[in-house]
Amino acid sequence: MGFLHVWAYVTLAGFVLGCAYKAIKYATMPMHLRWELYPVAHERGKASYGGSYFEEVNWWTKPRESSKFGEIKVILEEVLTLKQVHEHNPGMWVPSLLFHYGLYLLFAMGAALLAGGMAVAVGFRPLTFLAGGTLMSVWGALGLGLGTVGTLLLLFRRLGQAELRRSSSPADFVHLWLFLILFAASWGSFVTFDRSYAQAGNFLAGLMRGEAVSPGSGWFMAQVGILGLFLIYMPWSHMAHMFTKYFTWHSVRWEDLPNLPGTGIEKKAQKLLMLPVSWSAPHIRGDGRKTWVDVAREGGE
Amino acid sequence: MAQARINPIRVKDIGKPAEVLSPVNLQELAPLPPPFDKDDPAKLWKELAAERRQEVEASLDGVSALSLKRPSSPEEEKKLLEGFVAGLKKLLSTENNWTFLQPLTLSLEHCTHCQTCAEACPIFVGSGRNEIYRPSYRADVLRRLAARYGNGANPLKAALTGSVDLNWNTFARLAELAHRCTLCRRCTQACPIGVDNGLISHELRKLFSQELGIAAQECHRTGSMQQLKVGSSTGMPPAVVKDNIEFIDEEMSEKVGFKIETPWDKAGADVLLIHNAGEILSWPENPGAFAIMLEMAGISWTLSSDIAGYDAVNYGLWYDDFQLARVALKHAEIAKKLGVKKVVIGECGHAHKALTVIADRIFSQEYNIPRESCLTLMEDIVMSGRLKFLPERNDFPVTLHDPCNMVRAMGIVMPQRRILHKIAPRFREMTPHGVENYCCGGGSGFAIMNPNNFASWKYLVAGRVKLKQILDAFEGELDPSIPKYLCAPCSNCKGQFRDLFRAYNVFERTNLLYGGLVELIVNATEGVPEGFLEWEFH
Ligand code: SF4
Ligand code: SF4
Repeated sequence: MGFLHVWAYVTLAGFVLGCAYKAIKYATMPMHLRWELYPVAHERGKASYGGSYFEEVNWWTKPRESSKFGEIKVILEEVLTLKQVHEHNPGMWVPSLLFHYGLYLLFAMGAALLAGGMAVAVGFRPLTFLAGGTLMSVWGALGLGLGTVGTLLLLFRRLGQAELRRSSSPADFVHLWLFLILFAASWGSFVTFDRSYAQAGNFLAGLMRGEAVSPGSGWFMAQVGILGLFLIYMPWSHMAHMFTKYFTWHSVRWEDLPNLPGTGIEKKAQKLLMLPVSWSAPHIRGDGRKTWVDVAREGGE
Repeated sequence: MAQARINPIRVKDIGKPAEVLSPVNLQELAPLPPPFDKDDPAKLWKELAAERRQEVEASLDGVSALSLKRPSSPEEEKKLLEGFVAGLKKLLSTENNWTFLQPLTLSLEHCTHCQTCAEACPIFVGSGRNEIYRPSYRADVLRRLAARYGNGANPLKAALTGSVDLNWNTFARLAELAHRCTLCRRCTQACPIGVDNGLISHELRKLFSQELGIAAQECHRTGSMQQLKVGSSTGMPPAVVKDNIEFIDEEMSEKVGFKIETPWDKAGADVLLIHNAGEILSWPENPGAFAIMLEMAGISWTLSSDIAGYDAVNYGLWYDDFQLARVALKHAEIAKKLGVKKVVIGECGHAHKALTVIADRIFSQEYNIPRESCLTLMEDIVMSGRLKFLPERNDFPVTLHDPCNMVRAMGIVMPQRRILHKIAPRFREMTPHGVENYCCGGGSGFAIMNPNNFASWKYLVAGRVKLKQILDAFEGELDPSIPKYLCAPCSNCKGQFRDLFRAYNVFERTNLLYGGLVELIVNATEGVPEGFLEWEFH
């Protein structure tokens, strides 16, 4: 087993564990005070104009009509059309759309190859139409093509527009360069060696079986190496928005659950209100022993 | 020797020495429609006097909202900076900030700097796109400081996030910068990721207030502290508020020709109505109209004369979780004591959000008395047939301002519109409206803040986009021969419109009056003599 295989294992595991860590971190954060922002997508019959149950007189006596479908629809629309960018930042839309579609295709292919590898590892016959056919070539070329063009356009924009350049962080550039290098290595591998992604499929299947399939080409090695770097870094960067968006939208923007009997909110809040406070301002004077309730019941300075 | 200004501005420049980092550029301000396009903004601009500049910090943009004094010694400066770092750590901890930890962390960790939010911000756009007012700018300063000094800071994270120095310049400018955002969250609505730059301003204000005791004095000392001690941020103690309401009752009785008597502290009433007490002093016709409407509709209601019970404001919403909780608990205790069926909040947007939404989760069962908006109660009254209307009395162009806190933050969009469609035949919408509205420019406390030259910043920058939007709603009808009405069902928004209209002489030049919703309802109510609405600017 060579370094590349170990690297592949480590980075795949790093990706999965990193994503899991982040997701668990956000999911287990304490309940926050309400901070919803309208439109709230699950408001049945009202989401289209941004209305809420607060529009009803004696709203607490009425049944709340919530629709999961509404949330799914908005998220899908956002993921598939980048609606917000289209509406509010039209110049960014085409580059961003190309870039994201490139990633969607490549991510889907990676997942398919991984699933194929797993299937082979547990004894299924290789799906030659997937691992050896034209479909994979077209799929890969399309993903790489869209991703590369999108990345280049995004990079030109970020470098070329003074305001965008100035308001960027070093990480924004690092990500785009990292993508470009990854795509360059992937193109190298695609053009010179593995146009059908059969080698990628074998390599992954080998990993699944615990066998060290030879990478076979320097380009392929570079591709795996950089992809690994990318995978291990992604959960710790703002690129994690691919899954943390669930929290920003579902757990904050659309989190409108009122404190009514049966919701369990009161119980959670009572625990949190007993936490010690150490804010130092004169009207609080938290000493690490006083609780939120203690401070809230005082009159201040 | 510090340079006069830095151009172009980058995030890390916030800590650099410069007399003024990025002054308000009067030539670049967003244009207003005719005839206001010919106005010279310099006439509204107030330059801070040189002596005052020596006393207070104004090195962000030449404006001082906080009257922040410079530290008198290096030791004092060091202490303040250490306090900032301590506060930052608390802001990122469960114990000290469970209230907003999840939304804050998510917002700090996921901005891609795509700038999709920038054009949504009325302050950034109104200023002519001054870099320091870019929604992501202040958030990035905090992001960079958190990566350097926050919990879990490490050199790689700091290098990737970008550099910024923590020094007095950064400290003072960031405190001011947290007060160049109205917390309207229009930028948040535009963000594809769900990053909340408005929340970051809110959390920054909390850091300064809760750790260092630095807050706008109108919000804290003469705001929430005064409300808790005296009873109201207006300074009115219970006896004075009762006197004032008695006076309003007399005036209303005269107007309608039958006796109006506001009930006080009526145990077991269906409705405890809490006004923004500023209405009682500045727009007495508003609580007066409420009394008329409720009496005529036969609603069982009461006001409370307890400390804080007659003032719905809760300025803690804008800068301090503890002040928010203290005032909200007072409101809940009063409702419980009176045994009312529900609390109805008068025409005040931030009070709506504070008591109904933000404080919702801190109320335990016995204090969790249902709370609702006056807009829904008014819709119920107007649509129920309990009152009859003569809409022709409101036969003038009317447009509607959507207070951010009621609409974008609570989703109360249609009740006020259904009412207006019934009682105001020439009602028209602004563009954009509803949840996409623009803030009046007085949000987050700005409406009550006028220290130093802050008011001129509000008129020229914060309220600019809104003013344009209002004027555009009456395109072709701005001639003063046509009376027209801006319906703004929120005291803070009205305060901002009063000052903004005064600054630009809007009423004199266009005959555009602003006011609340209940006044329009009562003006069109059968049984109320014609002319309830007095066409007088105040
Ligand atoms: S806050 Fe959102 S919209 Fe604004 S720059 Fe960051 S990611 Fe883009
Ligand atoms: S909350 Fe409003 S004022 Fe503040 S940055 Fe966002 S859009 Fe601008």
